[in-house]
Amino acid sequence: MAHPEFTLQDLLRNSVERGPERVAVVDGKAEHTYGDLDHQSLSLATALQEAGVEKGDRVGVYLEKSWEAIVAMLAASRAGAAYVNINPLFKPPQVAYLAQDCDIRVMIGDSARLGELEPATISGTTFYKGEAPEAGISGELVNLAEALESGDAPVEEREVSEVDLATILYTSGSTGMPKGVATSQRNVVSGAQIVSTYLENTPEDRILSALPLNFDAGMSQFTTALRVGATLVLQRSRLPGDLMKALRRHGITGLTGVPPLWALLLRSTKSIQEEPLSHLRYIANTGGRIPQANLDELKRLLGLSGTKIYRMYGLTEAFRSTYLPPEEGDRESSCIGKAIPNTEILVVNKEGKECAPGEPGELVHRGPTVAMGYWGNEEATRRAYRPNPLAPPELLDVERVVYSGDTVSRDEDDYLYFIGREDAMIKNQGYRLSPEEVENLLLGSGLVHEACAFGVENPDVGQDVIAVISLRDTGEDNGSAVDAIRQHVIKNAPPYMVPKEILVRDDLPKTGSGKIDRKGISSAYANG
Amino acid sequence: MAVNTENAAAAVQDWLRENVTGGREVAEDYALIDNGVLTSLQTVELVTFLEDRFDIMVEEDEFDEENFGSVQAIAGLVASKTS
Repeated sequence: MAHPEFTLQDLLRNSVERGPERVAVVDGKAEHTYGDLDHQSLSLATALQEAGVEKGDRVGVYLEKSWEAIVAMLAASRAGAAYVNINPLFKPPQVAYLAQDCDIRVMIGDSARLGELEPATISGTTFYKGEAPEAGISGELVNLAEALESGDAPVEEREVSEVDLATILYTSGSTGMPKGVATSQRNVVSGAQIVSTYLENTPEDRILSALPLNFDAGMSQFTTALRVGATLVLQRSRLPGDLMKALRRHGITGLTGVPPLWALLLRSTKSIQEEPLSHLRYIANTGGRIPQANLDELKRLLGLSGTKIYRMYGLTEAFRSTYLPPEEGDRESSCIGKAIPNTEILVVNKEGKECAPGEPGELVHRGPTVAMGYWGNEEATRRAYRPNPLAPPELLDVERVVYSGDTVSRDEDDYLYFIGREDAMIKNQGYRLSPEEVENLLLGSGLVHEACAFGVENPDVGQDVIAVISLRDTGEDNGSAVDAIRQHVIKNAPPYMVPKEILVRDDLPKTGSGKIDRKGISSAYANG
Repeated sequence: MAVNTENAAAAVQDWLRENVTGGREVAEDYALIDNGVLTSLQTVELVTFLEDRFDIMVEEDEFDEENFGSVQAIAGLVASKTS
C-alpha cells in the first residue's frame, strides 16, 4: 500500500518501496538506485542538522546538475528545511544577492564556484564538492562526499507537512531584482502529480533532465520521475551530438525543453531521419513559443517514431498552468492549450470580469500549485497573488490566485492562445529578466551614466536583450568604453543577461516625470 | 598562415576571453561544458566563429563535448580539419 503523497519524502518513500534496486538517477557513467537516494539523502539530512539547520531554514544548492544536486534537495527536505537551487550560471554578485535575500546560511556547492564567492556570502557551514576551496568561505567547511557516505542516523526525524516551505524558486519579474517564489511541499507534490498525470509517466520511463534544476520546469523532471519511480538521466551538455548520444544510449522516453533546445535537436535532422527515435515517447516544450517552422519540422521528424509533442505553459508563481494535448497539435504555435488537471485558468479583463471568447484578457491561475508568494516581498506578492475575483463573497476563506501578467484569449472550444505581455519583462531562452537587473549591472561597471534595457523579439531565443546607454565622462572613446562595459557584464552575470547590443547615446530621452523613457527608446530602436 | 593546434588554441582563448569569461584565461584542459563555463548557445556561436575564421565545416555528429569540451579539444578539431 503506497503512502499518501503529502511531501517530497513521501514520494521518495513510495519509490524506494517500489524497488530500492531500481535506478533513480544516471549521472554520466554512474547509476544510482532509489536505495542510494534514500541512504545518502538521510546521511546528508543528518549532517545538515548537525550543521545547525533548523526547521524552515534555507539551504542553498550551488552545484552543477549532478547526483549530489538531486540528493541535496531531498536531504534539505528531510531535515525540514527548504532547498534553494541556485543557477550554476550565476556569478558571485547574483549568489550574494540571493543568499542575503532569503538568508541562506548553509550552502552545498562545487568547490570551484564556492571559491569565487565573496567571503561574507555564507556565514554558516559550507558543504563542498571536490577539493576544499581555498578562498571565498568564512564559515565551517565540510566535505560533501563524506557527509553523503556517513550513514549517520538523524538527530531527530523532523515532521514535515504539506503546508511547509519546500523550496524557493528564484525568478524575475517586470521590475526590480529577482524574487524568490516560496513554494510549499503541497505545491511541489501537486505539481508532480499533475504533470506526471498528463505526461502519463510510469516507472518504465527514462526521463532526460536537460533543463536547469533551479528552473521550475527543470525541477519538474526530477519531481515527476521521483513520484512514479522512473529513471532520471542527468544531461549537462546540450550540444547536438551529445543530445543525440544521450537520447539513444539511454533509450530516453521523455524529453522536456525550451525552444532553443529544439533548434539544437533539429541540427541532427539527418541522424533522426536515418534512425528515428523510436524509444522517445514524448517531448514537451515550455518557456516560450516554438517558431512555427521548427514546430513543423519537429512534427515531421518525430512523426517517424510516433513521438508525441506536448506544448506547455507555466509561470514559476504557480509552477505549471496549461498544456496542449498532443492530439491537438495542429493548432497554431501560439496555442497554449487548456488548464492542467485539477486547475482552473481564468481569462479576466480590466474590470475583473471573465472575458468572452476571443476577448483578450489576463491569464489568472487557480489551483493547488499556486505558490505561497514572493519571499519577503509583501508588495509584489499582493500584486501577483490576489483574492479569487470570482469567489462568492460569502466564502470568507480568501483563496489566492496568480495574476500572470500575460495576455491571452480563449476560443469557443476553451483553448487558450498566448498574445503577449504589456509590461517590460524580458524573456530570453526561457529565463525571465527585469530591465532594472540589466541596467543595474551596466551601471555597476562605473562607466555608465544612464542605462535603459529592453527586450526585442527574436523567435530563436524569445527576446534579445538590448541596452541603450549614455557614458560617464571618463575620457575613454565610446568603442573602448563599450568593450570594457561588456567585459564587466560578462564577468559578473550569467550569459542570458548580457545585452546582444550596447548602443551609446549622448543623452537618454525622459518621460514627463523625468524617468528614462523605456517605451520610447525601445520603439525608436524597433523602428530603426 | 598554417593552422596548428597552438594558434587554433590561441584563437579559442581570445574568443572565450572576449565572449565568455570576461577576460579570464582558462586552462587548456579545463572541462568547459561539464563545468558549465560554455553554454550550448555560446558553443553554437563559437562554432560559427571557428567556421568563418578557419574556413572549416563542423559536421552535426562532431558537434559534441568530445570535440568542444576543452580548449585543447577544440584546437585539436580545428587543426585536424585544416591540415
